Amino acid sequence: MKVCTVTFAIAVLLPAMVLGQGSAPSAAVPRTPDGKPDLSGLWQRPYVPDMTKTNKDQSQIGIADLPFTDAGLKAWKSYDAANGDYTGSCLPFGLMRSMNSPDPIQIMQSPQYVALLYEQNTWFHVIPIDKPHHDGATPTWFGDSVGHWDGDTFVVDTVNFNGRTRLDTIGHPHSDALHVIERFTRTDAKHIAYEVTIDDPRTFTKPWTNKRTFTLRPDWEIMEYSCEENNKDLYEGHIKPPPR
Amino acid sequence: MRLKQAVLVAGIGLLAACLPLVAHHSFAAEFDSTKAITLQGVVTKLDWMNPHIWIYLDTKDDSGAVAHWQCEGGPPNTLTRNGWTKDSLKIGDQVNIEGFRSKDGSNTCNARSVKLPNGKSVFAGSAEDGGPNKRAPGQ
Repeated sequence: MKVCTVTFAIAVLLPAMVLGQGSAPSAAVPRTPDGKPDLSGLWQRPYVPDMTKTNKDQSQIGIADLPFTDAGLKAWKSYDAANGDYTGSCLPFGLMRSMNSPDPIQIMQSPQYVALLYEQNTWFHVIPIDKPHHDGATPTWFGDSVGHWDGDTFVVDTVNFNGRTRLDTIGHPHSDALHVIERFTRTDAKHIAYEVTIDDPRTFTKPWTNKRTFTLRPDWEIMEYSCEENNKDLYEGHIKPPPR
Repeated sequence: MRLKQAVLVAGIGLLAACLPLVAHHSFAAEFDSTKAITLQGVVTKLDWMNPHIWIYLDTKDDSGAVAHWQCEGGPPNTLTRNGWTKDSLKIGDQVNIEGFRSKDGSNTCNARSVKLPNGKSVFAGSAEDGGPNKRAPGQ
């Protein structure tokens, strides 16, 4: 079966690419004219429906026990997707659930901006470099992101979320106090080490981190993905819209 | 059981989960992991559209009564990258679908396996959407 064959190949190859293991020499890292590591390209990512799990191929490393606050644990224990998974209504996934989606992302980069184009539902998120957060801005699904280079790592700091999203498909919660720190490090010609830290003092007693490996797919092109096109699940009433 | 589309209660493994295909919504938002189902029928229509493909099929029970079913599959983008096309399944094809029923009791299912009579899998790849990849013991 072709799908299984591809999966098996990935499973065999990826362990050698795992985060923190033997990064290729920096000379192998493509760079932009200003000398920064070039993050551009179409990247295949591990699907992360549950951030507490670790993939067998180590392409995604989670932590099993999230440090919930009492309020966070209550929010987690009381969640029932059948009462309205907002993504089923094609509402924006938000930053983390978009980063956790299985479809590839296109990264575009200039000295002033990095843009992430998510194939999932054809969303995008633009990250200004070396700019301050917006002051008093309306909270949003993807939050307010700013980026900076920490050596060869691109660091994205995001705040001001609207609190209407979930961290992952299984429904781990967060509040509107969510603060996300992402670190993108191009480790060689074909891979990005991605690390995300979830900091939400209302939901978790301490920040926690999840790590992944992205793989460059020059043989792929980003494709259109219309969530609304034939969303029979919602249109025919098989799922509920989320509480408003 | 009279119906060929009978809900199975025996612990029979579903397909091996190979690639994630679905993320549009949580499995639990729509489908019941305790209601595994096997359908045998004839394809009447295929929606090769976002966010998921849908396979429509007619099944017959032992008396010859026809039931209309619809089953959700993966997103066409992912299926395309895995080598499938809208022509991989044709109207009139006989199929065997294993999956899970929707919670609302309609003739709607989430397909975890679609096979032709020769055993060939179509649209292979299981939906890593928080739903089960195989039936739990005792189900």
